[in-house]
Amino acid sequence: MQDVNVVVVFYSRTGSTERLALAAAVGAVQGRANIRLRRLPDPEGAAVDPEHGERMNREYVAPREADAAWAEAIVVGMPAGAETLSAQFEQYFDSLAALRDQGKFEGKIGASFSDGVGTSPLYAAMCRAGLITVPVLTDPDAVAAARLQGRRVANMIRALRPANAK
Amino acid sequence: MITIRPSGERGQASQSWLNSRFTFSFANYHDPAHMGFRTLRVINDDRIAPGKGFGPHAHRDMEIVTYVLEGSLAHKDSMGQQHVIGPNTIQAMSAGTGIVHSEYNASANQPVHLLQIWIEPAMEDVEPSYQEFSFAPTEKRGRLRLLAGPHPAADAGSSAVIHQDAAVYVTELGVGETLSYSYQPERFGWVQVARGNMLLNGHKLGEGDGAAISKEPELLLAGGGPDGVEVLLFDLA
Repeated sequence: MQDVNVVVVFYSRTGSTERLALAAAVGAVQGRANIRLRRLPDPEGAAVDPEHGERMNREYVAPREADAAWAEAIVVGMPAGAETLSAQFEQYFDSLAALRDQGKFEGKIGASFSDGVGTSPLYAAMCRAGLITVPVLTDPDAVAAARLQGRRVANMIRALRPANAK
Repeated sequence: MITIRPSGERGQASQSWLNSRFTFSFANYHDPAHMGFRTLRVINDDRIAPGKGFGPHAHRDMEIVTYVLEGSLAHKDSMGQQHVIGPNTIQAMSAGTGIVHSEYNASANQPVHLLQIWIEPAMEDVEPSYQEFSFAPTEKRGRLRLLAGPHPAADAGSSAVIHQDAAVYVTELGVGETLSYSYQPERFGWVQVARGNMLLNGHKLGEGDGAAISKEPELLLAGGGPDGVEVLLFDLA
């Protein structure tokens, strides 16, 4: 089976969205994807969670344009409940505009995961970026849903490859 | 036949926080002549600066055994496992269908020195698992202490079970102290010096040296000066 490339970009302050991001990454790996995990930095002036904030700052690097260029799917996640896109994700999607304008997003997949409501701003941003979106999965077991989402995304990449190669 | 893999000929990677020696091809070090031996795929000799480490990354279908020689290592993975391990401990992960993990030096002021071993599993898609066992230093003193093998140990819960017909032992020998090991016919082996000096069937081996063992039914290991040796021994199909 051919390898596929997936980047998981998330923001987590206290570690709960991180848990889902890890699950999405594992799902993608189950689908035989190469993965990169990237965390958006804490917003300026925000209180860094004493238990998880410093650890996550140490363990993750911020996403770069090269990650989005490398990835055949971008899986994004932010803490549930937000009605609007956070400033960090606004900035993140802005940073991808150049790639999109060069046509590099043609055939690229976008997806999200969530432990509740609040993914619609992310989906709106992914649509604006021109990504082919895979709908969010809702399940009482958010970790299982995120894992399944990762696997679905890997399978979708593989399914779309012949078409994208043309 | 004993084929020595000298320490200085290993691949290497140096960063401000990491000093690695690769017995076999790994990451950016690629040598077709050193891709592994039998099912043994990786022996990495890593020294990680205080507070630094490997951020979350993924593995699939690999048996990963970590043996800390000095310092302490903080492990966290997608199975929810979170542990700090030190010397005289076996950590084994079966990546199987997929895991994501991070490994950090748990200390803010001491480096950590470890050997990471990858063994190719006999089957794909096993359920991911994490195993960790500690033992008393006396258990490896002058005799072989099993770290990982294909079968549950007689005293269950003392060594890791891996999905391959391969056994990994450790021993510590004082100067002049000897130990012998017999391979069954058709078995292969690897010897990796973790620290110190030794003689292996008369061949001098120093820290970081390895040796591939083929059609060599009997091994005689002897601790060398000035401080003896700590050595890993593999029994491979």
